[in-house]
Amino acid sequence: MLSPLAAALAVFVCAAIAMVALRSASDAIAGVGETAPERVPFLGGHSPEVHAWSRFHARYYVMALLFLAFDMEMVFMYPWAVVFVREGGIALAEMGMFITILLVGVLYAWRERALRWA
Amino acid sequence: MGLSAVASRVATRAPVPVFPVAGLGARAAVDDLLVETRLRIVDTPAAANVLLLAGDVPSGLAAELARLHDGMSRPRTSLWWTLGASVRPAIRCPTEVRDPDPSILVDAVVDVHRRLLTGELASSYPQLPDEDAAPWRGIGPYGQGGTGMTGGVPYGRPMAEVAPDRDGLRLDQLTVRIGPFFARFPTGLVLELRLQGDVVQEAQLALPAGDVPMSGVATTPFGDALGVPVRVSVLEVERARSHLRSIASALVAHQLGSLAQRVLRLAGKVRPGDDHEIERLHRVLRRSQVLGWATTGVGHIAPERLEGTASGPILRASGVARDERADDPVYGGLGFEPIVHEGSDARARLAQRLAEARQALELAGRAGELDHDPESPLESPRGRLAAGDLPARRVLPLIPSLLEGMEWGDAVSTVVSLDLDTDEVLALHATDPKVSVP
Repeated sequence: MLSPLAAALAVFVCAAIAMVALRSASDAIAGVGETAPERVPFLGGHSPEVHAWSRFHARYYVMALLFLAFDMEMVFMYPWAVVFVREGGIALAEMGMFITILLVGVLYAWRERALRWA
Repeated sequence: MGLSAVASRVATRAPVPVFPVAGLGARAAVDDLLVETRLRIVDTPAAANVLLLAGDVPSGLAAELARLHDGMSRPRTSLWWTLGASVRPAIRCPTEVRDPDPSILVDAVVDVHRRLLTGELASSYPQLPDEDAAPWRGIGPYGQGGTGMTGGVPYGRPMAEVAPDRDGLRLDQLTVRIGPFFARFPTGLVLELRLQGDVVQEAQLALPAGDVPMSGVATTPFGDALGVPVRVSVLEVERARSHLRSIASALVAHQLGSLAQRVLRLAGKVRPGDDHEIERLHRVLRRSQVLGWATTGVGHIAPERLEGTASGPILRASGVARDERADDPVYGGLGFEPIVHEGSDARARLAQRLAEARQALELAGRAGELDHDPESPLESPRGRLAAGDLPARRVLPLIPSLLEGMEWGDAVSTVVSLDLDTDEVLALHATDPKVSVP
């Protein structure tokens, strides 16, 4: 059996070797040695005038919020399903109100053109 | 045998990744290469090992051609398919193919690729010097070329400017020039765009100046028909082919490559009276949901904006029954009636071209020995054609205002749906460097 110290050393050595191997593999495929014109993105023959780091409107964030709203609704529905038989009509009405409020939110987002991609 | 030698041998069996550039008089031949199974036509030079220059690539595009060459992955080489052109391309091509037969070209490309991978043929050197667009190394706290989030010139290029977007936010606006070798556009078309995300905020046409011989325009039967009598059946089959090629390029733009190959194969073999083949194709295309979603409502042009500008299928796809053939007594005798479609969008233009291809083959089947009189008006597949009056010249000024507000993908579909002719766009380079935008 290896002593704990030897095991830790072995893990460290393996990790170091893996890191060096990954680094040299990434250098090998990353096009090291390419000239500046070889590295630019292709636009059909013209070189880019501005840098491609740019801030743009992440329109999918509204869709992400809507998804979260309905995701949370499912979390609420699990305990609701447990007590539904016992509580009967009141539980149904409560869930109906809850879903209606969420749906109004969706309709509002739709009217505000939040679901339009561009 | 070493590992890289084994890998090279395996790689030589794969289809050759080729980035083609269609010069004057070469568009149809280059488009038809899509059906070759031994080649893989790619959209970006980084994916290609072989740069195929076909026909006459104007010397005015030398700088862009050099950048295109340097964008290719190594090992790489260039090959010139002359197709009757006499002026050498601006970059050195170690291999030339003079035979217009595509199968001989494919043999040559496969052979060049094999020699390139096995090391018999040296990879070509960069055409441009290794210089950044602006000095940046070592500047700034981390040597990244600037200070702060948006200062300086990181990696040699200034950061994007900010401009208001449609929601009233101030967001970065990228200025990019697309073309002249963008795979989906006709060679020579350069669009200067301001993009926010993928929304086109502003578009401008830029056609660089250069020497372009006018010879390319006259090599089609329609170019000949301006001067000498040409068989109506020849003109109509050529019209059907041109429409089918246009449909194929629209299908490629929508990533429907196999359908495009099918259409191109049909374009290669149609004969007068083959209209039932087009009918079958029509049923296939109608079933394609992707095509319907991607083209319905895209690139809508109000018919009044087309008044006095576009002619041909673009005009007829917006419900205007104007066709030069209607005033030609020869076509009158064949019972010609212009076809129109409503909608004025990319879908209507596709349907219009398909219906016209079918009609053209029907007319060709009935035309027999009839000739087109050079004195009569001439309707080319892209609209009214006369000496010095090219359809592309009338359509191009529509593009900038049409693209504004579109997503980039829709903008590409729109430009493709206008079916601009490469030869005509290249011919415009010679006559006026900047197209006036109304």
